[in-house]
Amino acid sequence: MEAPGTDDRLLHQRVVGGDENALGEVHHRHYPLVLGLALRVTRDRVVAEDIVQEVFVTFWERPLAFDPDRGSLRSWLATIAHRRAVDHVRTEHRHRVSALGPRLTEPEPSPLEDWVLAADEAARVREAVSRLPGGLREPIELAYYRGRTYRQTAEDLGLPEGTVKSRIRLGLRRLADELAEEEV
Amino acid sequence: MDRHAGRGDEIPGTSDPVTRLSLDVLAEAASTPPPGALARLLPAARSARPPAPAAGFAAPFAARVAAMDALLASATPADWAQKIVEGWTLQELVAHLAATDGLVANAIGAAVAGPPLAADEVLSRTADMIAYTGGRRPEETRVEWRAQAETICARAAAMEPGTPIAPGGIQFPVSDHLLARMLETWIHTDDAATVIGLPLPLPLAAHIHPTADFCARLIPWTMLLSGVDGGERSVRLTLTGPGGGAWHVPLSVARVAAPDDGAPSDAQITCDVVEFCFLLGGRGTPEAFAARIEGDEGLAREVLRCAPALSGP
Repeated sequence: MEAPGTDDRLLHQRVVGGDENALGEVHHRHYPLVLGLALRVTRDRVVAEDIVQEVFVTFWERPLAFDPDRGSLRSWLATIAHRRAVDHVRTEHRHRVSALGPRLTEPEPSPLEDWVLAADEAARVREAVSRLPGGLREPIELAYYRGRTYRQTAEDLGLPEGTVKSRIRLGLRRLADELAEEEV
Repeated sequence: MDRHAGRGDEIPGTSDPVTRLSLDVLAEAASTPPPGALARLLPAARSARPPAPAAGFAAPFAARVAAMDALLASATPADWAQKIVEGWTLQELVAHLAATDGLVANAIGAAVAGPPLAADEVLSRTADMIAYTGGRRPEETRVEWRAQAETICARAAAMEPGTPIAPGGIQFPVSDHLLARMLETWIHTDDAATVIGLPLPLPLAAHIHPTADFCARLIPWTMLLSGVDGGERSVRLTLTGPGGGAWHVPLSVARVAAPDDGAPSDAQITCDVVEFCFLLGGRGTPEAFAARIEGDEGLAREVLRCAPALSGP
């Protein structure tokens, strides 16, 4: 779990300077998050992949819209992806209201700041967490549900901080696999 | 540093712990894009904004062209009409860049954008280009400026960097002329970014460094042009920040600035590398310039006072 600051800055400088390899690196690093978000909102793989493409093209075409002083690239890309996905769903919704669930009828595209996972999604995530083996579950519950820092979590569990970090990461991967299986 | 899970600086929406967890899970998901995703992305990206047109000694200029192009991609119609500098709108500023680039294009036998070249001189060529772009859409001016810059980079890349060329009657190696174009394009992009309120990141250190080196080598010429005789004296110039370095700068045009080797100097100037390049480019005032000076203070101040002498519009 590296600090993104300087890395984002350098990648941004390179993208502004027209370095395609930097775009490739950004794409490689953030593709799973951007696709996952788009999938979660649209529930349509083909549409979600189009949105992913749009998000990265937007970043490449107008990189000055991103300001590294105001947040991470990860959160900027996620916000754009979410907005595009919600826009798509709203447009679809106008065409065929009946096909969509109630959570997609929100009147305005909410910025990600206000976005909260739908109740059924949240329940799935909690359920998946509860099925994790204890050694992975406990640090995740402390760090996320109880808002403990890495260091506090490590103290609570009597483990080195590095161990806690790697268990959290492992737990997140396990959750990613489980939730992806349910989705497909 | 004691940080929370989720990499400290988080995706917004994190007030809800399960949402935050879910986003972090997404970021960890089977972590590589499928084969073909990048191959699909790149052509779409290229047609939205072309990548920097060159490597090698043209790279610092090529990257500034790409950066100005990125700024223009974000410009609204109101931004295009906004006065940026010298009384020019953004569109006229791009016409000015195209005019000055055009003299370099002409000097290396590349196609020149705009009307036929009537005079090998910046001001009259700028006037011609501004008149030419007057009836055209901003996007056309952008495309013509950009295409000419790409041609210059491609053509220059095939030349020996030391090849002397003399656009506007000023003879320097082609590599130095491209650094001069880099500096001017950078400064004008910064002018525009400031006026229209966009944050412009710095060039890479690897691109700032040769530009700073070029500026250090220009110092004796700025003094000559200002009518100051530096004689046999010299200064040590230490430029701080990414892309900086230290140079031993003789103040006579008969000698050339070189990376500092510890040779004795009459004065020592230490300042920010970007501010120094911008001072040479005519931004900021020498009197108010932030620099640490040791040795002959009067000489050092004279050097800084003369520094903008070669900057044009």
